Amino acid sequence: MPTIQNLDDAAAVIIDAQQNNHRLEVRGLGTKAALGNQPDYDDCLDVSAMQGIIDYQPEELVLTVRAGTALSVIEAELAKANQMLAFEPADLSGILASKSTGTIGGVLATNLSGPRRLTAGAARDFLLGFDAVSGRGERFKSGGRVMKNVTGYDLSKLICGSYGTLAVIDEVTIKTLPRPETSLSLLFGCDDMTSAVAQIADIFASPHEPGAAAILPQSIAAAAGLDMAAAMIVVIRLEGIALSVEDRVAHFRQMGQRDTGRVLGTLPQAASESLWARIRDVDLLAHAGGDIWKLSCAPASAPAIVAAMEQSFETAYYADWAGGLLWFAGPSGTEFGTALRAALMAHGGGHAQLLCDRAMSKNSVPVFQPLPPAQASLTRRVKAAFDPLGVLNFGRMHNGM
Amino acid sequence: MQMPEPDQQIIARRESICAALAKLVPAGSVVSSKEGRRAYDADGLSAYRQLPMAVILPETVEQLAAVMKYCHAEGIKVVPRGAGTSLSGGALPLADAVLIGLGKFNRILEIDYANRCVVAQPGVTNLAITHAVQDHGFYYAPDPSSQIACSVGGNVAENSGGVHCLKYGLTTNNLLGIELVTIEGDVLRLGGKHLDSGDYDLMGVMTGSEGLLGIVSEVTLRILQKPATQRALLVGFDDTGAAATAVGDVIGAGIIPAGMEMMDGLAINAAEDFVHAGYPRDAAALIIVELDGPEVEVNALIDRVAGIMNKAGASSIKISTSEEERNLFWAGRKSAFPAVGRISPDYLCMDGTIPRRRLPDMMVLMATLSQKYGLRVANVFHAGDGNLHPLILFDANQPGELQRAEDFGADILRGCVEMGGVLTGEHGVGVEKRDLMPIQFTEDDMKQQQRLKCAFDANQLLNPGKVFPHLHRCAELGRLHVHKGKMPFPDLPRF
Ligand SMILES: Cc1cc2nc3c(=O)[nH]c(=O)nc-3n(C[C@H](O)[C@H](O)[C@H](O)COP(=O)(O)OP(=O)(O)OC[C@H]3O[C@@H](n4cnc5c(N)ncnc54)[C@H](O)[C@@H]3O)c2cc1C
Repeated sequence: MPTIQNLDDAAAVIIDAQQNNHRLEVRGLGTKAALGNQPDYDDCLDVSAMQGIIDYQPEELVLTVRAGTALSVIEAELAKANQMLAFEPADLSGILASKSTGTIGGVLATNLSGPRRLTAGAARDFLLGFDAVSGRGERFKSGGRVMKNVTGYDLSKLICGSYGTLAVIDEVTIKTLPRPETSLSLLFGCDDMTSAVAQIADIFASPHEPGAAAILPQSIAAAAGLDMAAAMIVVIRLEGIALSVEDRVAHFRQMGQRDTGRVLGTLPQAASESLWARIRDVDLLAHAGGDIWKLSCAPASAPAIVAAMEQSFETAYYADWAGGLLWFAGPSGTEFGTALRAALMAHGGGHAQLLCDRAMSKNSVPVFQPLPPAQASLTRRVKAAFDPLGVLNFGRMHNGM
Repeated sequence: MQMPEPDQQIIARRESICAALAKLVPAGSVVSSKEGRRAYDADGLSAYRQLPMAVILPETVEQLAAVMKYCHAEGIKVVPRGAGTSLSGGALPLADAVLIGLGKFNRILEIDYANRCVVAQPGVTNLAITHAVQDHGFYYAPDPSSQIACSVGGNVAENSGGVHCLKYGLTTNNLLGIELVTIEGDVLRLGGKHLDSGDYDLMGVMTGSEGLLGIVSEVTLRILQKPATQRALLVGFDDTGAAATAVGDVIGAGIIPAGMEMMDGLAINAAEDFVHAGYPRDAAALIIVELDGPEVEVNALIDRVAGIMNKAGASSIKISTSEEERNLFWAGRKSAFPAVGRISPDYLCMDGTIPRRRLPDMMVLMATLSQKYGLRVANVFHAGDGNLHPLILFDANQPGELQRAEDFGADILRGCVEMGGVLTGEHGVGVEKRDLMPIQFTEDDMKQQQRLKCAFDANQLLNPGKVFPHLHRCAELGRLHVHKGKMPFPDLPRF
């Protein structure tokens, strides 16, 4: 397996593959190999040696690192300056049974974003620029090392979430943000999913700056150590300076006493952080069995989608992103995913991804949401614009591209 | 500025093209008279003018798609236009192109408080979104200074920012979904009311693509609750370097203000003459810092910021104690462009970005260039994110001054790139900075971008002559030298 040190090496390997009719699997630490489809490949292109922090300017909020750098290394470095990756990348090593949280390149390639995505943005919102080699074997760069830039097409967006199917990236520049001084969670009890979503809508219609919002059904909450007498527990994270957080808690306590929900209590910082880490990492479904699906939907559609699924299946689920991100554990096989996608389509659309495939369901059901015809052909043309011969991670996202 | 050679055969067919277009839209929606077309001959970069071959104003997506399909089939170029406030010439017409105006797409289609978003047609103005939802305490965050006039479709095409994008992001960070009409006349819906899709982020590349990839026919925008409190500080410095350091100190202390703006001496005085905002006339630099959020938080942070400013050597500090005072602080900054317009017959507004720590070097460079070209420059900066707006003062009636001003601007942008920055932070490349692209990008960088263009528009009919200094045919860009390569996409045209 060729291990490359830099993009010139990568270009050489890619050109070699082109000449030999080979395809390549692009691999960092392999912690996310289970995401997406198994690509069709003859060789691996190991990019994990391209490591290291190149430049970090906390007061500029920019960090330039090589894509093979371990996420843990980056997070430790940022913590020294009291900063963070605000999109809060998940650690899926638990549910994917991998060894570590992987590399920053892997996080960007899968656009993996956690609870703060709701208010701060996704990985794609924080990638400012990158250096890469395309599937054509040519070096190119896009974006820059500054926060504000509209020079040329914003290829950073395209690279994020492209699962290594367009280019091999090396240097990436990421926007960082200060870490909030304090945080805690406020818990509300609601009678059902509909009132939970309504309670959250009320909270977000106030100026008290909720930072993250999850909905945990009672049994899921209980397994996470929250034994509460409510069918649905709404968890609201508040962050900021201590004075501000206290003030906002007081406001929310007042508004909690209505028909949609009631205040159950608060979780202090440490307990709150560990709960949000479990929400982020899908740890709350780790023992549920079956496949795990990730659903991005309109937040207000969550109750209807959940109701449709509960009617026909034995399923465990919870919501993040104010209802806009639903995690489902359900029986393996075609039916569950097909039903999920039908429910999603019936309620405003979105994206359903088979995230954790415990029984090789992906042989019978597409991992990513199937594309409508016009978008599919444009997607194929975009792939071809970067990788005309299909050298890089062929088939990782969609069949035949 | 050299535009692509107009296709005389197309121009010769003008009458019949107008007649054919008229069949696709309601009566009166094709503007073919010279006087009528004159109204569209420039955008906000008014130094460049060109009569379009024809102007068409469709009203529905079906009409728009039909127009695109017709132009594609006939090989006719298309220039999209929103409100025409672009400062980079993105909406500059071409002599052999149909200008598609989106002014009739002026309806807000849905206000969805449950999902905290607004669905609107692209011709709706930026400020109209906020107006539509402010009764419920919501607003649309990106706030370009042109917000009463510019369209949300144009905002998407330019990925526009505003003074509050330090904390709330650019258009791209506040956009949930778009409907897109391709040059072939296909209608695609990307994104929606949900946050992320697991597909290629085609909406992300459409944002900021300056009308080169397709026409945005609908947008879904995220709306936010208005912050409970907003307060501002007005801080004077005797030294721009110290001011720049102070900006970094605030952010380094973990505070992200809603906005952090800077002005230099010339801009301060022009603004003060114009609106009497109480700016310190003798300061070399003025910083406006706005904090927003819960009242207790804003009050606490205001004190911290004032402390940081003092420590950094501020010569004067004022803290707003009322809305009137806060608005007054902003009044000078917001009228900086017209204020400079009063002290000079003409000015060019530049838009580079630099790493903020290089600001002192940039000030030195601008002073040197100002001497060299014999032209004054006034500066307003989005200091928080390093986005500069030098205003180069000149008189177009003096022979050669426009050229000198443009050369001065080009030198500043060259300096931006040399200092690790970029050519444009929010105004776009358009025609204005097109020929400077090679300063920032290699030929290979640009070719890769143009290949993306080819995936959307293989015949390069959409807004050609903008953004890229050299047009390459898609067939040439797609060529790849492989000895015995296989063809995994046999069904795709080999461009
Ligand atoms: C006084 C003044 C202040 C300004 N302040 C700011 C500022 O603070 N921040 C900032 O970012 N910008 C600012 N601008 C620049 C300008 O207002 C923005 O770029 C704005 O987004 C342009 O919108 P528009 O509707 O006028 O677009 P136009 O000028 O009509 O078009 C701009 C570009 O977008 C394309 N386009 C327009 N509509 C569509 C569509 N529906 N689909 C596809 N392509 C389309 C056009 O082809 C063109 O390339 C300012 C301009 C002025 C005149």
